Amino acid sequence: MPHTDAQQRAMAINRLLSMGQLDLLRSNAGLLYRVKDSQNTSKMKGSDNQEKLVYQIIEDAGNKGIWSRDIRYKSNLPLTEINKILKNLESKKLIKAVKSVAASKKKVYMLYNLQPDRSVTGGAWYSDQDFESEFVEVLNQQCFKFLQSKAEAARESKQNPMIQRNSSFASSHEVWKYICELGISKVELSMEDIETILNTLIYDGKVEMTIIAAKEGTVGSVDGQMKLYRAVNPIIQPTGLVRTPCGLCPVFDDCHEGGEISPSNCIYMTEWLEF
Amino acid sequence: MTQAEIKLCSLLLQEHFGEIVEKIGTYLVRTGGQPLRVIVSDTGTSLDQVKKALCVLIQHNLGTYQIQKRGFVEYSVQCSRVLCILRYPRYIYTAKTLYGDTGELIVEELLLNGKMPMSAVVTKVADRLTETMEDGKTMDYTEVSSTFVRLADTHFVQRCPGVPDASGPSDSAAPPAPTLVIDEKDMYSVPRLNLIGKGKRRRSCDDDDNGEHKAKKQKQDLESQEPPPDDGIYWQVNRDRFHQHFRDQAIVSAVANRMDQTSSEIVRTMLRMSEVTTSSNAAYTQPLSSNEIFRSLPAGYNIGKQVLDQYLTLLADDPLEFIGKSGDSGGGMYVVNLHKALASLATATLESIVQERFGSRCARIFRLLLRKKHLEQKQVEDFAMIPAKEAKDMLYKMLSENFVSLQEIPKTPDHAPSRTFYLYTVNVLASTRMLLHRCYKSVANLIERRQYETRENKRLLEKSQRVEAILASMQATGAEEVQLQEIEEMITAPERQQLESLKHTVNKIDASENQVDETIFLLASYVDSTVVAAAKKP
Repeated sequence: MPHTDAQQRAMAINRLLSMGQLDLLRSNAGLLYRVKDSQNTSKMKGSDNQEKLVYQIIEDAGNKGIWSRDIRYKSNLPLTEINKILKNLESKKLIKAVKSVAASKKKVYMLYNLQPDRSVTGGAWYSDQDFESEFVEVLNQQCFKFLQSKAEAARESKQNPMIQRNSSFASSHEVWKYICELGISKVELSMEDIETILNTLIYDGKVEMTIIAAKEGTVGSVDGQMKLYRAVNPIIQPTGLVRTPCGLCPVFDDCHEGGEISPSNCIYMTEWLEF
Repeated sequence: MTQAEIKLCSLLLQEHFGEIVEKIGTYLVRTGGQPLRVIVSDTGTSLDQVKKALCVLIQHNLGTYQIQKRGFVEYSVQCSRVLCILRYPRYIYTAKTLYGDTGELIVEELLLNGKMPMSAVVTKVADRLTETMEDGKTMDYTEVSSTFVRLADTHFVQRCPGVPDASGPSDSAAPPAPTLVIDEKDMYSVPRLNLIGKGKRRRSCDDDDNGEHKAKKQKQDLESQEPPPDDGIYWQVNRDRFHQHFRDQAIVSAVANRMDQTSSEIVRTMLRMSEVTTSSNAAYTQPLSSNEIFRSLPAGYNIGKQVLDQYLTLLADDPLEFIGKSGDSGGGMYVVNLHKALASLATATLESIVQERFGSRCARIFRLLLRKKHLEQKQVEDFAMIPAKEAKDMLYKMLSENFVSLQEIPKTPDHAPSRTFYLYTVNVLASTRMLLHRCYKSVANLIERRQYETRENKRLLEKSQRVEAILASMQATGAEEVQLQEIEEMITAPERQQLESLKHTVNKIDASENQVDETIFLLASYVDSTVVAAAKKP
């Protein structure tokens, strides 16, 4: 600005700042000023400095939200003040409270029109803070059936064993496409979601996984690797101990000859022997 | 020796050998090696009876003796040998599948008698086989001998250590107990015996309707008066070899379940080739080249060399890691990872027990912990995709039953609970031992229940035995049909039903004892193999 001198500039800027028309930002060259949006300024009319401070802190937190205790630390305001200000802002519909899925009593605050981040709501597996176990179960079974039928088809083809084994594998991308096409999910599922489901199948002992190196650019490869999954059978039959009543008995430790509970008068054994 | 093991030993000894042997045997299992005088005074039985009991125990390879430095002899009984009595039916069944009825009877006779010379075994087995054959046919000794030789060649039976020849100077005082020696290479060599003869049909004293056979029987008895040519060479069943066989069977069936029939046949061939070259405690078999395996495949499997190579590569790459590749000479050298295989089988047993006891969701958590070793509560919920409340419940249940344990990692020196990490982990060896103890107690419970059921129905059993005896004698004297029917009706219908159900019960308990013994075998092999591997490490 050429035709004003430094002092007049400083006065004008200070007046605009106090009226709330300018934003003050710091950069490594010095101080910068930015004109504020006219809608925003109308919203903030009538709020005092403390509320503006709190609003700014919440805005900075982005879509992860910020907890009330953290607001208190950052603004150094007492708790009662903070609560009053938060209530005020909520009634003006500038911020909203979102319950975190990690700790159900904790509430984080974020700007009204922002989408909460995945880590707060839990992503695809949570709907309204509730873990959707049936949904997970259904997906689990569908993935398993898909892999099982692929393995069956490979076994029937009776070609040489290498080809058989390779064709019984399915990459995580294929499984993802299959599930998307099935359309059982209302929520959009990503490949990582499918991989977490496939991991649970591995922990069930029904599926095994290998990682192979794949060329960049092939469908479904992430950082030059691809995960392949295959349905497998368990390696032993249910073991001998669990076929006797003693293996599953809840009062095993209390059982001894001559006591209240003993092999001679064991009711579980009597039932089992009548089969 | 845990309490459960001692209880099981005493039950087995009592069932097979009687009260006195049981008392002495249990005392020795509990207190280790003791000299004769101490046994007599501590157990309160007479010297004569103690001597007889010790004879029985030593004859059946359950007890041993040792000359101590001071010059007296200590007798001891090994718990593991007594527990092998549970496995006798499995040994006999294995011999039957491998060597037919002849092999089955040979092993059975050896197990019943502890130690026997070969000629006695052959005679007895031939007699028994002749019993079951049709009239007019007899069993030739040579057939039985040849089966015996085959059993010895594959190391299923072995020679007992014998008294060494008197080679020392005669003026040195005779030691209080002979030291039994056996030369390594003689252990499986069968002496040259010229056993000619046929099996004799034995007639019991009750049926003497064909009086002419009596005279023949007396004449045959006279022939066997002279001493057998192989006096002093006694044979016993080689339990370790049978255990090796069971272990191989378990590995082959695991491979068949995970992959297909052909792969399991390849593994079976590899294990068969290493049977006599690998000791039973080794962690790996000797490396076998792919050419050797190709040559030793059974005749029925004509798969090409390339296909065999592909199968071997697949087996080596499998996450199970049963087969490993140790080199490239000779078309690829492959070993069977015995220790790894046993570990996988033991973990699979653990997982199956957790699944049956607590449910498949708990099994998911258990397997997750096995893979990831240490996890926090929150991480367990995330990985297993189980709601937090249920996951917590299941973890605490498994914790209370000692399947999982907690590892504390404090953040601050004062170990405050709010500032400590608590990680869940599974200790496989500890869990295995705990389950092994539970198995022993279960088998003891089953045996007690069987004895209880038999005791309850003793009166009925005795009655039915009397009726059968009367029936048999009346049939022998040629009674009429009506009289026979009268006697049969002495057992009323409900009593007959009770007898049926008793038989059914006893059979069922017997079968389940064998099943639990299979679990015991897997878990005990894993524990032994781990202990050996840990001892080998510097």
